Amino acid sequence: MTASNEILSLRNLTVDFGGVRAVNDVSLSLQRGEMVALIGPNGAGKTTIFNLITSAVQPTAGEILLNGKSILRKSPDQICRLGISRTFQNIRLFPQMTAYENVELGLHSTPHYSLAEAFVRTPRARQIENDTRKKALELLEMVNLQEYAHARAASLPYGLQRRLEIARAMATSPQLLLLDEPAAGMNEDECNELIELIRKIHQQMQYTIIIIEHHMAVVMELCRDSRIYVLNLGSLLAVGSPQEIQNNPDVIRAYLGERKNARDFSAS
Amino acid sequence: MGYINAIIILAGINIIAALGVAILTGYTGLFSIGHAGFMALGGYFSAILVKEFGVHFVPALLAGGLFAGLTSFIIGYPAFRSRLRGDYFAIATLGFSEAIRLILNNTREIGFIKTGAAFGYMNIPGHTNLWVVIGAVVLAIYFAHMFVTSQYGKNCIAIGQDEVAAQMMGVDLLKTKLLALFISAFYAGVAGGLLGFYFAYLSPSFFTITKSSDLLAAVVFGGIQSLIGPVVTAFILIAVPEVLRALAEWRLIIYGFLFVVVMIYRPQGLFGYVEMNLHFARAWWQRLRRPVAER
Ligand SMILES: Nc1ncnc2c1ncn2[C@@H]1O[C@H](COP(=O)(O)OP(=O)(O)OP(=O)(O)O)[C@@H](O)[C@H]1O
Ligand SMILES: [Mg+2]
Repeated sequence: MTASNEILSLRNLTVDFGGVRAVNDVSLSLQRGEMVALIGPNGAGKTTIFNLITSAVQPTAGEILLNGKSILRKSPDQICRLGISRTFQNIRLFPQMTAYENVELGLHSTPHYSLAEAFVRTPRARQIENDTRKKALELLEMVNLQEYAHARAASLPYGLQRRLEIARAMATSPQLLLLDEPAAGMNEDECNELIELIRKIHQQMQYTIIIIEHHMAVVMELCRDSRIYVLNLGSLLAVGSPQEIQNNPDVIRAYLGERKNARDFSAS
Repeated sequence: MGYINAIIILAGINIIAALGVAILTGYTGLFSIGHAGFMALGGYFSAILVKEFGVHFVPALLAGGLFAGLTSFIIGYPAFRSRLRGDYFAIATLGFSEAIRLILNNTREIGFIKTGAAFGYMNIPGHTNLWVVIGAVVLAIYFAHMFVTSQYGKNCIAIGQDEVAAQMMGVDLLKTKLLALFISAFYAGVAGGLLGFYFAYLSPSFFTITKSSDLLAAVVFGGIQSLIGPVVTAFILIAVPEVLRALAEWRLIIYGFLFVVVMIYRPQGLFGYVEMNLHFARAWWQRLRRPVAER
């Protein structure tokens, strides 16, 4: 039964910002457990699609289904509780909290004990806090940040902040994980580590993942066995395997419009 | 002795109200310039319960806090619901507080209760003494600490640092902000009650914008995301002008000056991000022991 395996479906999504059509009639369907990439030149509307899925932006037209049910007009926190979590292109950690506290927040954004228990901190509440602490440390370990657990998030180097955002997103126990340019600003070694990390969490946690990325090497590697969606000026330009995308004349033309990315692209 | 008693009592009451503002402003990042209004509501409510209905003053204080907390929803719900920007929320609290004061100022009686309008509500039993205040302050600090270190409190802190990220990570903004506002107004309400039982009367003139800005100043000077900071500053802000009477008239000018200095040199406040716990004391101690060159 293929239909029941569909986790996310975007149907004819369109968004206008004033006069700008940022997303134009985009449809996309994801099966549970897939990892796909969303690429496209700057301003193509990639981040806006994440904002639509997480309800930070409301579509002008179209429909979004999670496990077959519409999630339009739910609030971002409800969406999170339904099992969608994300990272941000412009890192949005809680800057004054430690790495550990950032992850912990994702675990208790819906508190696990009552307010009365919070004020008197019953043994049960303490036990819950201990469990939460353990889980947070496990997640930090999974992204290899355990030694930075008590460092302030804002004091971490850029690459580590990106990994921390992934751990925080994982803390909300998502089914669907949206990664917005997780490799931005990383060098080749860091990119390779990141590829491994994303592979690992994809397999171990059985997430469904959409990744937005400009580093073509990362995209091609992560989506070896799946699909890449190419967005240009708000519209889907192409969908296909890394091979198909690399040889697609429309895609090459879209990227040639922008020299920096064209270089990235040919380099991969 | 009586004089020092008076200062400690007034400072203690100020500390309780400032703790309320700390939870709302220092932790949750929502600025209020209207907490005097909540003090007034809690103060009159608990005074009426004791004087007119013979309620014991302790449950009356709690009821006053509860009443202030519940009325806070009148501004909180519409403001948070419509995602009013932070500065508009601050102005809404000011408007609310001034409205409360003006209503009290023009209300001579509520039914058979002679609230006395601008003359004040007289002959409130004087239950507040040094020990009552010290007990109340200790409890207030204890529960504030329990709250801000709980999962609920940490969600408030997340909102204070990045509201969008907090919501995306699953924090219910409306509920969490209303909770912070409720607790914060509760504290102010209890402080207002203690004030009435101390002076044995309540006048709308106690609860002006000057009172509100005193409380906000305690939090901004004392430090955001800190309880010890506002406690220390709330004490100083009462004690110093009392001891140096001459300074009192210059208070607002000195505040203005200090605000600017703090904003420039220590925008997080004197004790910003310093929690009341041993962890920080230890960190500070180690920092002090390290050679200067390494700092
Ligand atoms: N909230 C908003 N209000 C108005 N315009 C917006 C908003 N968000 C995005 N846009 C516009 O929509 C278009 C698509 O932006 P988007 O951020 O989705 O691009 P992107 O594909 O993520 O680009 P990049 O690779 O640079 O991150 C851009 O023209 C952008 O200016
Ligand atoms: Mg983007």
